[in-house]
Amino acid sequence: MTKPDQAIRIAVDRKAFPAVADRPEQLVLRGVQLTVQEGSFVVLTGPSGCGKSTLLNIVAGLDADFQGHVTFSQDDPKLAFMFQTPRLLPWRTVEQNIRLVLGDDDAQAAAKVAAILDRVGLSEAATAFPERLSLGMQRRAALARAFVVEPDILLMDEPFVSLDDPSADSLRALLIELWNRRPTTVLFVTHDRIEAVMLATRLVRLGGTPASIVQDSDVSLSPADRLDREKVLACRLRLFENA
Amino acid sequence: MALDNQTIRTGRVGRGVIGSVLSGRLVWTLVSFLSLLVLWALVAAILQSRLFPGPLEVGSKFLSEAASGELGYHVGVTLARVAVAFLVAMFIGSAIGIALGRAKGADQFFDTWLIFFLNLPALVTIILCYVWFGLTETAAVLAVTINKIPNVAVTVREGARSLSRDLTEMAHIYRFGAWKTLRHVTLPQLAPFMAAAARGGLALVWKIVLVVELLGRPDGVGRQLYDGFQLFDVSMILAYAIAFILVVQLIEILVLQPIEARVNRWRR
Repeated sequence: MTKPDQAIRIAVDRKAFPAVADRPEQLVLRGVQLTVQEGSFVVLTGPSGCGKSTLLNIVAGLDADFQGHVTFSQDDPKLAFMFQTPRLLPWRTVEQNIRLVLGDDDAQAAAKVAAILDRVGLSEAATAFPERLSLGMQRRAALARAFVVEPDILLMDEPFVSLDDPSADSLRALLIELWNRRPTTVLFVTHDRIEAVMLATRLVRLGGTPASIVQDSDVSLSPADRLDREKVLACRLRLFENA
Repeated sequence: MALDNQTIRTGRVGRGVIGSVLSGRLVWTLVSFLSLLVLWALVAAILQSRLFPGPLEVGSKFLSEAASGELGYHVGVTLARVAVAFLVAMFIGSAIGIALGRAKGADQFFDTWLIFFLNLPALVTIILCYVWFGLTETAAVLAVTINKIPNVAVTVREGARSLSRDLTEMAHIYRFGAWKTLRHVTLPQLAPFMAAAARGGLALVWKIVLVVELLGRPDGVGRQLYDGFQLFDVSMILAYAIAFILVVQLIEILVLQPIEARVNRWRR
């Protein structure tokens, strides 16, 4: 059971990828216990390939092949997932891509789509097809799509990789703004430690093979501090001193 | 960040470019067509044979057949058979293709069946349909449909095998449901494969329909060609052949190409 202020309780006892051809079975996660508080911004970090994304897919229900359980405080919580690639439908316009995640019976859908497009700065690209836009703009559209459903839980899997620094920074600022405006429970995967410190209210580090939680710290930076590079760097040093 | 207006408008500008390329192609088509006509007239003039009429003779036969309403009637009948057989085959073939592309077990099991029907000569299907169901309209259309279904299924199966798992996961997370997923995620990915199936399929259906008509129908272009053969009326055969080619080209230009352009407009 989960207490009311606990949004997700994750208990993955064992997760392995089955043996294929000449590769033996690969044990990825073992004994990962994590309780996520309602409204917290939890950043999962750790070396590349350690199983962060796998854990996120398990929470999202995309991967059911594991031992353990994931419990949500709410029955059937509304999820949004921002993937490593934007995963927009290339044959639908930006506007249609965002409209599609809202229910057909949603009377306010058009207004919601217009409002979120305006907030992420894509109003003028509303009728463009995604592949005609830059990666940064596609990511904005994916971010808009994630927030327009007003999710109970937002899952993000390295959503800002392979962007140039200014684009990534402006998207992070946009994410902070959207999140402040409508706080929701976020589980965010990244291997970028600066990004982790900038965004997290709680930082969970995975490590080892198979991976388990090796660090779990609260990050108490004010919203202003998060945009201050010096303070973020100082905080990163403090948090990762024994990493 | 603001996307300037020009960038957004490229879609429409792009269509204009396609238009001008088309008109350039039109000139070439015309020149090429006229030279074929001249060559034909020359050969006919040299041979001076009743069995090799020139373009003028065939043209007057075409006009008289058209004026009597015979041409329109028979082409219309054939067109109706093509339309029904084509649509039914596309629908059933696509459904089979999607099912086989998604379910590996079914694919392995039915693969042999597909190969069997793919290699079954069209003539065998036609004869068997007429033998089993009589010389009826249903048997005729059924024979064409059965010939076409395996081709559609094989092409669409290729598409269904390569469906993006990324997009399926996205649709699952955002609760698209079965219908929305089919319409907005699955079918657009299959569109190029279905277009290929339609293209190749239409060409195949046209030809098989003529054989079906020749063997067991009292009307249609195929029947008229048969009558022309019996009377050694080469003008009639060529007049119907030309009518046939015209209709096929019109459908290609007026129906298939616009659909393809619309389906592909999102591509860069």
